[in-house]
Amino acid sequence: MQFELLAQLIVSGIVLGSFYALLGVSFGLVYQTSKIFHLANAIPFAAAAYGAVWSASTLRFPLWLALIFGLLMAVIFGLLILVLGYFPVMARNGTLLALFLVSLGISVAFPNLLQIVFGTENIPLKTYGADGELGSAFDNNVYTWGFVTITTIDILKIVVAWLVVFGVVLFVNRTRFGRSITALRTNPTMAAAVGISTKTVYIVVFALGSLIAGIAGLFVAAEFVANPIMAIQWTLIGFIAVFFGGIGSLLAASVGGLILGLLSSLSSLYLGVQWTPVVVFGALFITLLVRPQGLLGKAAV
Amino acid sequence: MKRSNIGRKGAVVSLALGVAILLASCSSDTATEETTAAAETSAAAESEAPATDAAGNCINDIFGAGGPEAGEGVVINNGMLLAMTGAGSFFGEVMSKGSELAAEQILAAGGPEFKTSIADHKNGDVPTAITETKRLISQDDIVTLQTSYGAPSEAIAPIIAEAGVLTLNGGGSSPGQLSKDFLWQNRMLYAEDPNAGALAWINATYPDAKTIALIGTMENGVGTFNESAPANWAALTGGTVVAAEQHDVGATDFKALASKIKAANPDVIMSFSFGDDVGYQVKALREAGVTVPIIGDEFTQQAAEIAGASYDTFNFATDFYNVDNPNPWNVCYVEAHRAKYGNDPEYYGSNYYEQVFIFWELVKRVIAAGGDPADAGQLQAALVADPSFKSVYGGDEATVGIATFDANDHSISKPMGVFSVVDGKPVLEQEIVKIAPGADPKTALVAK
Repeated sequence: MQFELLAQLIVSGIVLGSFYALLGVSFGLVYQTSKIFHLANAIPFAAAAYGAVWSASTLRFPLWLALIFGLLMAVIFGLLILVLGYFPVMARNGTLLALFLVSLGISVAFPNLLQIVFGTENIPLKTYGADGELGSAFDNNVYTWGFVTITTIDILKIVVAWLVVFGVVLFVNRTRFGRSITALRTNPTMAAAVGISTKTVYIVVFALGSLIAGIAGLFVAAEFVANPIMAIQWTLIGFIAVFFGGIGSLLAASVGGLILGLLSSLSSLYLGVQWTPVVVFGALFITLLVRPQGLLGKAAV
Repeated sequence: MKRSNIGRKGAVVSLALGVAILLASCSSDTATEETTAAAETSAAAESEAPATDAAGNCINDIFGAGGPEAGEGVVINNGMLLAMTGAGSFFGEVMSKGSELAAEQILAAGGPEFKTSIADHKNGDVPTAITETKRLISQDDIVTLQTSYGAPSEAIAPIIAEAGVLTLNGGGSSPGQLSKDFLWQNRMLYAEDPNAGALAWINATYPDAKTIALIGTMENGVGTFNESAPANWAALTGGTVVAAEQHDVGATDFKALASKIKAANPDVIMSFSFGDDVGYQVKALREAGVTVPIIGDEFTQQAAEIAGASYDTFNFATDFYNVDNPNPWNVCYVEAHRAKYGNDPEYYGSNYYEQVFIFWELVKRVIAAGGDPADAGQLQAALVADPSFKSVYGGDEATVGIATFDANDHSISKPMGVFSVVDGKPVLEQEIVKIAPGADPKTALVAK
């Protein structure tokens, strides 16, 4: 029975870790490019969820269109934060601390705004069926192999997360624009000198990071509900994954997320589940103590 | 080039802002079942309770005529200490609405004016609760207080005792709040009071069940988790606790917990978790392939939305508010709630609705005795002298329910039951009662 439990915890850990990898890439892409501690990454996460829920129930969008609408909202809100929140501070030579405070303020205020607009209730993702009635938007089937179970959404999380991770890594490493991102990340002054537009790079990076955060938000809305505080804890996980896995590498951040997910799940094999946050933060602390650049990051020269 | 760049970017920003504003404004007008309650609740909060004859007369029929003897013209400074932000904001919202409706009905019925100030303890933060309580006392000069959550209420107990503020908690009831001067609980003790009856029902319904798994938090119901439940189970079945897992309040990922519970192979699962946590838990357990009965301590629509169809396999035992209760006061209450807020009242809001009527009853008693109704000490003395009050719980078509406080430990006795969830709605399976510690758990079952 312990072996069966181990098998299930590994599967659950991979699912959770894949989701963490998605969050890590989202947060890491923005942080590594702009050095902004983008706590407000929670907003695109929630905007996608509420966008999908609202458009499905009010505009009667079918599921596929509601999801796209949700992602569009994620990108829009992500760019709004950049253009209305960060750019003005940057234009006045604001420090990274100032940008962090802006991000913190937005991330604190936005859940309250959601509460005011949508109310405090949990809102599930439902779509109109052929009978004209609102019903569950998604059949989350459960698949069983012996002791181990996995759901449709779990499988999608794994597949989508790693497709996104590798897609983003390829984009950054193998495309011309991706090299602009790398250049800006490595040496902003030189990048500007050779004509790379910082603002354009930031806009693309924030749009992409927000899109990825939005994908994560849609998973939560589809599996559970949308609610005003849905994004906060997941955003923090993204931050932990980046610093745990390695600053400076998106692949390291995503692998860091995967390891964190496995750690979270497997720690409960011998410890109570209430120890999971202790294990996660403990792992981060020890890693940064021993390897400040992260588990897989490269040491500063 | 620069001008066109600015123009393009400006257009993008304007478009994005316009969409955002459109989204925000349209959201208030959603007409769907799922979002109407949320949106209209927010919007309707601004409107007055229907100052209709029906609302006023209905209350007068039940509570007697208004006028000076009923406190007309008296102003009672009332405070509320709620979770208005954060994870528990749903509870703060419904609690404040319950109180607001009650105050309006009482005023319309010729009773006192309850002038309420709401403070936010930020989802149970104790230092904030203390600061806000002191502010309510010093700045708003409150005589009565409606508090919530366990830890903040326990923390403010010395403050309200010293200041002499009559306080009621209808949310996070706990043993730590028992027998505290000026602090009374109008909710059965969470987890502890229904526990014997819940387990007795399980034993009666599933007589072959011998092993149990317990799930709980490290905040509420800990004593029941560690002591009462295992003892009651052993007394009923001779069986054992095969798994006991505690989790952080607010957790959403229960896959690991579900796997451990499944591996322990219990015959029954009992959960002492509350709020949304239960919904996430039940969903994770069912998706992990756990099919045994699960019984908890509360039902919220919020948790039901999270769990979806898997909640139809859930049972719970508590002093549950029944919106369909034909009790005349409850009928009046439900109609008024629907008219004002556009949705049905629920458990927590009902407790805080009742609290204001308890305060009103005490005001009337103090006035009748020739005392000062704005003196919390006199209000409490009136409560101790006669601890029974009308209730929206219990009763029947002809009679209003009665809830009775224990004058010694300041707890309350209300009708309790074990419920199943059918098509997302609670259905009463068995009435239960609170029993003394160590008593035979089977005596908690009310004979049918």
